[in-house]
Amino acid sequence: MKLLNRADSELLFEALARDHCLLFPIRRNDQLVLASSDKTPVAEAVIGEVRTADPLKALFLLAREKVAQGPSEETPGRRKPFCVIGAKACDLKGFKVLDSVFLDPDYGDPTYSALRAESILISSDCTTAIETCFCLAVGVKPWPEEGFDLNLSPVTGGFVVEEGSERGRELIAKHAALFGEPTAAQLAERDAARAKVEAGVRELVKASGVPDQGALEGRVMKQYESKLWEQEASTCVECGACNTVCPTCHCFLLYDQGGPSGPARFRIWDSCLIKDFAKVAGGANPRHALWMRLRNRFEKKFDFFKKVAGLYACTGCGRCISACPGKIDIRRVLRELVEDNA
Amino acid sequence: MPRNPYASVESTVLEVIAETPTIKTFKLRPSRVIPFKPGQFMQVSIPGVGEAPFTPSSFCGIRDTIEFTIVKVGRVTEQIHAVKPGDTVGLRGPYGNGYPLEAFRGKDVFVVGGGVGLAPLRTLMYSLFDMRKDLRKLVYRAGCRTPGDFLYWEEINSWAGNPDLDMKLTVDAQDGSRECHVGLVTSIMDFEGVDIPSAIGVACGPPIMMKFVTRSFLSFGFRPEHIYLSMEKNMSCGFGKCGHCRLGTVYCCKDGPVFTYDAIKDFEGIWD
Repeated sequence: MKLLNRADSELLFEALARDHCLLFPIRRNDQLVLASSDKTPVAEAVIGEVRTADPLKALFLLAREKVAQGPSEETPGRRKPFCVIGAKACDLKGFKVLDSVFLDPDYGDPTYSALRAESILISSDCTTAIETCFCLAVGVKPWPEEGFDLNLSPVTGGFVVEEGSERGRELIAKHAALFGEPTAAQLAERDAARAKVEAGVRELVKASGVPDQGALEGRVMKQYESKLWEQEASTCVECGACNTVCPTCHCFLLYDQGGPSGPARFRIWDSCLIKDFAKVAGGANPRHALWMRLRNRFEKKFDFFKKVAGLYACTGCGRCISACPGKIDIRRVLRELVEDNA
Repeated sequence: MPRNPYASVESTVLEVIAETPTIKTFKLRPSRVIPFKPGQFMQVSIPGVGEAPFTPSSFCGIRDTIEFTIVKVGRVTEQIHAVKPGDTVGLRGPYGNGYPLEAFRGKDVFVVGGGVGLAPLRTLMYSLFDMRKDLRKLVYRAGCRTPGDFLYWEEINSWAGNPDLDMKLTVDAQDGSRECHVGLVTSIMDFEGVDIPSAIGVACGPPIMMKFVTRSFLSFGFRPEHIYLSMEKNMSCGFGKCGHCRLGTVYCCKDGPVFTYDAIKDFEGIWD
């Protein structure tokens, strides 16, 4: 454990910005959004609080990204690796899910693989919770426990710094002059802050009635024929916002386009709620009804990923709750899933 | 870093054969050899327009050219149907598992095809002919809507003289073009001399046809794990990442497209 004061943290970030695209949360109206050090002074970084409005996946898998150009088998447009400051535990869990999809020796996504291998993640504790937070229900604490290089816990006088990887240890060693030792009082302050925010999330979880993930085992299949899907889908407008803001939704479409620099292939985000998602050219559509597609989203997150990758593909970030114009609340759906009234 | 799985291999169109008013066979020469197994599929693309998944229809032992038999049914296939010899298309793949031919050794193999499903089955049949001495009985049953819709009519009929093949063809209705038995493909599924408990059943065709062929196999006592189905779903990436072709806990592209019936029978929408 180390201590980094606020002024030294800015020196560290500026040093990292030389080889990386430095990104950090800033306040815009009532939300936090990611900003780049190219355009925004690092002094505006909000380290702590809650997750940003956009998920981190939006950086590592662009909404529309060129993945092939003409007849070349080279991956076009290599991007500079990121150094993300202030990533939250929910987004780090998102990477666990995305890694299980996009990193593989035979068919790994080259851009995602390179960015994941070369980017630095400097995460931070949540210091508050918002109404839609329910990370505790899906096994995520409101502070990072894994998947980071360094973690920053805001305390009086700066940040308590935890190493989470070999890269993190190297960073501290390389910039040793910037780091000090935390006092016992600062460590106690960190623990107290964590306990407070955890209690806050626990209250929110209780108030929403979202079940703990331990109760979800086998529930989607048990409730497969339930009326709950039709009821919940009745307000769905098929916009796909839940997919877009979800840190684990990974589905995409390959889209070919001509242009002045020759034909190119793009990987674009797709949404499983949209009618033609699974439709084949001949017209057959295994999920022709909207409620089937809504059920499919939950099946994928709470059945498929558990069986295939050993984890639920939900991080409790609550972004889909805020994004849904139909007020479909994932916490309510999960509650209905575990209730035996079908 | 992994090689780019999204890039296509440039391929030259050597020949275009009109099979029926809506189906053409395209003989392609990829700029580098693309080895494949029967039942595996590839993404065929028109540069800058789009790609769509197809299973080759030629013998996989031919290394420098690959044929695809393609129905004109959507945006991409309409463009594919417009290509001429000398044009360039893209090929990406092969993807998926293909038929486990090793597991067919020493068994009776009962192959049933329908419509454009005869295309991938042509690749399979060439391989089965190639390993004929290692099989027991080899049965081929094929059905199409009308004789005019029959793919490879001359070629398939030339197989009729093969004493090592038990072959029957049928059509739903006559169209006056060629003589053929009339009836659903299930009406020509007879199993005399077939060792049902160990026999391999293969079905490839429209979903509704595969549903009834599977039902027929099961009613005659074929084991669910011996019935091989070729599933058509909306494959985009081809390697289990894009999410479109998921069936329950498997991806059709990566874990299929050939599945045994017992592996997928409990998943929703397999016949849709």
